[in-house]
Amino acid sequence: MIAQTRAELLKIRTTRTTAGIVLGMVALILLFSLLSGLLTKAPNLTSTEDQRGLLSVGSLAGVFSALAGIMLVTNEYRHGTIRPTFLFTPRRSQVIEAKLASGLLAGIAFGVVGEGLGFAIGYACLASRGIDYALNSGQTTLLLVGTLAGVALWGALGVGIGTVVRNQVGSIIGLLAWGFIAENLLFAFVPSIGRFAPAHASDALIGLTTTHLLPAAAGGAILLAWTIAFALTAVTLTAHRDVT
Amino acid sequence: MTTTTSTQVVIADSLTKRFGSVLAVDSLSFALAPGTITGFLGPNGAGKTTTLRMLLGLAKPSSGTASIFGRPYPELARPALRVGTVLEAADFHPGRTGRDHLRMLSRAVSLPDARVDEVLRLVELDAAAGRRVKGYSLGMRQRLGLAAALLGDPELLILDEPANGLDPEGVRWLRDFLRAFATGGRTVLISSHVLAEVAQTVDQVLIINRGRLVVESSLEQLTARVGGSVRVRTPERAKLQQALQQERIESTAVNEQGLLVHGASSEKVGDLAFEAGVPIHELVAEGSSLEDVFLELTAEPQP
Repeated sequence: MIAQTRAELLKIRTTRTTAGIVLGMVALILLFSLLSGLLTKAPNLTSTEDQRGLLSVGSLAGVFSALAGIMLVTNEYRHGTIRPTFLFTPRRSQVIEAKLASGLLAGIAFGVVGEGLGFAIGYACLASRGIDYALNSGQTTLLLVGTLAGVALWGALGVGIGTVVRNQVGSIIGLLAWGFIAENLLFAFVPSIGRFAPAHASDALIGLTTTHLLPAAAGGAILLAWTIAFALTAVTLTAHRDVT
Repeated sequence: MTTTTSTQVVIADSLTKRFGSVLAVDSLSFALAPGTITGFLGPNGAGKTTTLRMLLGLAKPSSGTASIFGRPYPELARPALRVGTVLEAADFHPGRTGRDHLRMLSRAVSLPDARVDEVLRLVELDAAAGRRVKGYSLGMRQRLGLAAALLGDPELLILDEPANGLDPEGVRWLRDFLRAFATGGRTVLISSHVLAEVAQTVDQVLIINRGRLVVESSLEQLTARVGGSVRVRTPERAKLQQALQQERIESTAVNEQGLLVHGASSEKVGDLAFEAGVPIHELVAEGSSLEDVFLELTAEPQP
């Protein structure tokens, strides 16, 4: 399991796709943080909720860690490397578990970079504009730890999504369509169900207090439950499907 | 059969694979002894690749069993250290370097990176190892696949159409390599849809057609079955005849330098002449060739 995880981490590091995903993440967080940190009118950046919105731009890293997780699986099916992978490690559950662990670890790295960047820029914008920092230490800790945990879980969730769907384009479109469109519609029209969806569970986890969102701890538990559900489905499906 | 079971390297027992209503592999049984090179032959779509996938645990048989070294492949502990496999030339991420491809596989079975460099040298790919696979020729990809198969220093090699895309030099290199590999008592199973491609490499053949085993024999027996002959021209006719006689191969002199050899392949006659130090000026297979027999055995039934 440890050997396989080392192999999976090497797979993540040795393609340019990963570098592209990291660059995309950095660019997007840089852009959004600077735009909202510098262009939002000062009165709209004074409340705890406003500042939490600005400082949590880094949680966008979750989209990118999910993409990296999806790539870790779908690249193998797309390019056929899944065959040598399973020939070297024929206990397929070990491969999927190692990929889940690697997705989680890569997610932590993405979270550290993404949230570090977002928080630093947001904080610097507030400071340079002379706006008082409004979050207390508990709220700050929740924001940082929640973001890191959320981004890490999305990495593993991406592995689960990629294993269930296997088709690379299908997985990516599925992730984006669900996360940015379907889930928002669901939350807007049926918030009592929408708040249990994974992206809104991670919003809750970082301490956002939008109406209808779950409490932070419940949000974290729900996101974890989604990850476990996808992980179990991934392991089960992979055990039974022929590799062509 | 039961007495030799434990010593057989590969055993397929009534392997069957159904895809919906299509019977891709139909009750296929065979066994491979250690130290042999077996050609697994059949036209495209005969079920060769599906059979190999079942042997290797990539596909589940609809019925029947497959074992390698006495157990189903997925139950072997670190099977890559005993079985090397080259399934298809395309199994690489194009953006990854050849070395990184091997490193990611060697990590999974805890082999050191030094072993990666060893196999790269072995397949003569060390110079290109740092380049991305998308820049590799088909022959280089085949050799990279072979390098991956050799990482664990296996006792059994399973190769699916390894000669595809190789230039004549590459085919020769592969033949010599496999011969050397098998002399140490190690075993090779090599699939191909062209008999001629492997005729000079293999000891025995399994020919399948439409998922069924149609021939299981040594190459010698298959050649005898051909019933064709080999016409030879040599200045040392008598010496060659003597060498052939020692191998119980019949021949008739047709003139001063000409000889007609019966029931032996041109490969065999050429090899014997070489061993006997007889110069050959002409060597021609006459009558139906091995390829003819192969085509006949694997032909679609006429309506």
